[in-house]
Amino acid sequence: MSALGKYKILELAEDVSGEYCGKLLADFGAEVIKVERPGCGSPTRHMSPLAAEGADNEKSGLFAYLNTNKHSVVLDLATETGLKTLVRLVGQVDIVLDDHPDGWLKSVGLDPHSFNDKWPSQVLCSITAYGQNPPDDHRHAQDLTVFHSSGWGYHTPGGSYDERPPLKGPGRFLVSYETGMDAALTIVAALYEREASGKGQFIDVAKNEVMASRSDYVLAQFVNGDMDARPTRDAYDLRGPAGNFQCKDGYVYMWMAAPNEWTAFKKLLGEPECFNTYPPMWLMMELTPERIAETRHHLREWLKDKGKDEAAAAAQKLGLPLVALNNPRDLERSPQYIHRNYFARVEHPVLGATLYPTVPYKMSETPAEIRSPAPLLGQHTLEKLAHVGGEKR
Amino acid sequence: MSSVNSKRGGPLQGVRVVELTKIWAGPETGKQLAYLGAEVIRIESEGAIDGTRILGAKDFNNAPGHQAVNPQKLSAQIDIKNSKGIELILDLIRESDMVIENLRPGAMERLGLGYDVIKSVNPNVICVSMSMYGNDGPLAYQTGYAPCFAAIGGLTALVGYEGETPTGINIRYGDPTYGAAGTFAGLVALLHRRNTGKGQFVDVSAVETMTTMIADSVMEHAINGVEHQCDGNRHSEMAPHNLYRCSGDDWVSIAVASEAAWISLADAMGTPALAEDSRFKSLADRKANENALDGLVGAWTSGRSVGDVVSQLQARGIAAGKSQTSIDMISDSLLWSRGFYPEVTEFDGTVRPTVGPGAKLTRSAAITEGAPALGKHTAYVLGEILGLSSEEQEQLAAAGITR
Repeated sequence: MSALGKYKILELAEDVSGEYCGKLLADFGAEVIKVERPGCGSPTRHMSPLAAEGADNEKSGLFAYLNTNKHSVVLDLATETGLKTLVRLVGQVDIVLDDHPDGWLKSVGLDPHSFNDKWPSQVLCSITAYGQNPPDDHRHAQDLTVFHSSGWGYHTPGGSYDERPPLKGPGRFLVSYETGMDAALTIVAALYEREASGKGQFIDVAKNEVMASRSDYVLAQFVNGDMDARPTRDAYDLRGPAGNFQCKDGYVYMWMAAPNEWTAFKKLLGEPECFNTYPPMWLMMELTPERIAETRHHLREWLKDKGKDEAAAAAQKLGLPLVALNNPRDLERSPQYIHRNYFARVEHPVLGATLYPTVPYKMSETPAEIRSPAPLLGQHTLEKLAHVGGEKR
Repeated sequence: MSSVNSKRGGPLQGVRVVELTKIWAGPETGKQLAYLGAEVIRIESEGAIDGTRILGAKDFNNAPGHQAVNPQKLSAQIDIKNSKGIELILDLIRESDMVIENLRPGAMERLGLGYDVIKSVNPNVICVSMSMYGNDGPLAYQTGYAPCFAAIGGLTALVGYEGETPTGINIRYGDPTYGAAGTFAGLVALLHRRNTGKGQFVDVSAVETMTTMIADSVMEHAINGVEHQCDGNRHSEMAPHNLYRCSGDDWVSIAVASEAAWISLADAMGTPALAEDSRFKSLADRKANENALDGLVGAWTSGRSVGDVVSQLQARGIAAGKSQTSIDMISDSLLWSRGFYPEVTEFDGTVRPTVGPGAKLTRSAAITEGAPALGKHTAYVLGEILGLSSEEQEQLAAAGITR
């Protein structure tokens, strides 16, 4: 059974954050009507990874991933007719979802300020980088610049790299995925309220604030004064021997902060004598650069002839949180990911059968599922616009 | 005392959540629900206290980490290692809509709070269970903290300087993301219940949540067999795409996503001819000569004030921003003007700002309260929700089951 089967969403979004939000809802059964521009469709149709062959509009793996279970309707919002059709469509859905920069919604006749006057029971969600009406020096953004304006970038990788540039986040679109998820959960909360109140509302999601909220443990302490804010790259760091280490076939990450982890660490390495002089609580109270360097050195030596999964299994059995740094190939073969069916084989008319990442939550009654691949451009134009009425295309 | 949150409003007003959580990810899910207006009750006991009430804390209440991630919640002190305590928790669950837990897999069952038991007292409740690898499977026995999630999920290997051991994203990343996945799935279940009356069990995996944050990289491998390694600040579809040093220790991020933006940048740098230079004309040209390109951009930003660089580039339609320090974050006038740092009243009456949610609604919940003092709402839970007389409450306290 699908959880969101009774809801209709009009997706005006053309970027990763909004499309991901729409996907999260579509995979739970919501009917998502994706409005695309004539000719080239959504810009994400032209973003990598691209299959070697196939029609230009249909070979993006990114678009295929972001738009499962959706319906594609081509509508030219640069024309009066297109805008009139848009208005009719808005009247037939529960949610309107957008991720264009501030001002775009108004330009197509859906000004957030007056939206609910005209459509009192619809939910309008706008995803932008910095919220509505941003100041002039915050109008243009990409995931890289938001990663850095939200506090994450300057502190990645953290201290001890001061002379080298701070880094981007993992992958290309982490900021967009994070924001899409927050938008989706806020939309569902608004629908929950609407079931009782019958009222729609406006949701304003700012990527920068979503990302800043993801550091609340430290950021709240900086802003309330419990921790001293400082302009150094190590301001978010935790001290200690934790880190990434090379092994025989790649890298592992080791965490060690508590006395029981120290006990497990010593056991894993065969109780080297030099550790006998360490105070039992050194990780919590008596960190020194020498001890950190020495423990790291011994771990590196131990890892030289170990594979990452082998090392992780041995450490975990003793209670030491040591894990492999996986890459996509490892994940596809991970017995745990396979056990939980994290990957789904999806047959797409152009891309063929491919393993798609799915969702990280298992639901006993209403599982998310991929029922249909991403739509071809305009695949549902006739079907979805037939009942809108009065329009010739 | 009626429902403690009855005046806050928000879409989840009237929803009651019981939280059996620790550290950051589970509490974050509770916080996100509380920020949407739910009444979130943390079940706590001194015998199994959350580490954040101890770590760097003067006492259980003066606990900075706990205060940072538990605003707007209630705390009931009930001994979870006592069978009468478990009975009380089940009585509370009978009066609740959702249970969130992020104890180790199997711990809820051992406590007598497995989903079967919970379902028998409240068949319609939503149970959100959070763990590193999910509740079962060959590796479910393994545990870890947020940086472990990012490593396993495939994120860490993608961050670092080219050709070196990956550094990973900052160590603080992960728990709130995973918490948001729990919030989203829990809310979908709650909406389904509103429509059908049916509860369900939701099993959230931290490592899979991480993988969804790089899903396109995973798709790229599936489609083309390409496996990215850490590569500094490179982006396959943008150049320039990097951090450039300005005056002092300031850095600016610049991401050029279109030919128009590149022409504007070359112009802003006072070298419009660069846009026509055969090394830099197309994206493919710029990618092929990216080190030289970065050198030129870096030479231009070097010694300039980051504020000037950002205003100048933004005025020309180019994505650019300061790489913000922790001081910049707490003095960011845009964040303050948008109400991102709401003021809350802490347990001792002091009023301080905290970190707000990432999204705003027309009818948001008011955010007014800091994290609860340990056991501050035990009487509310026992008296108002469970209807126990003051005599019964005194007996429970005398027996050490509640405080």
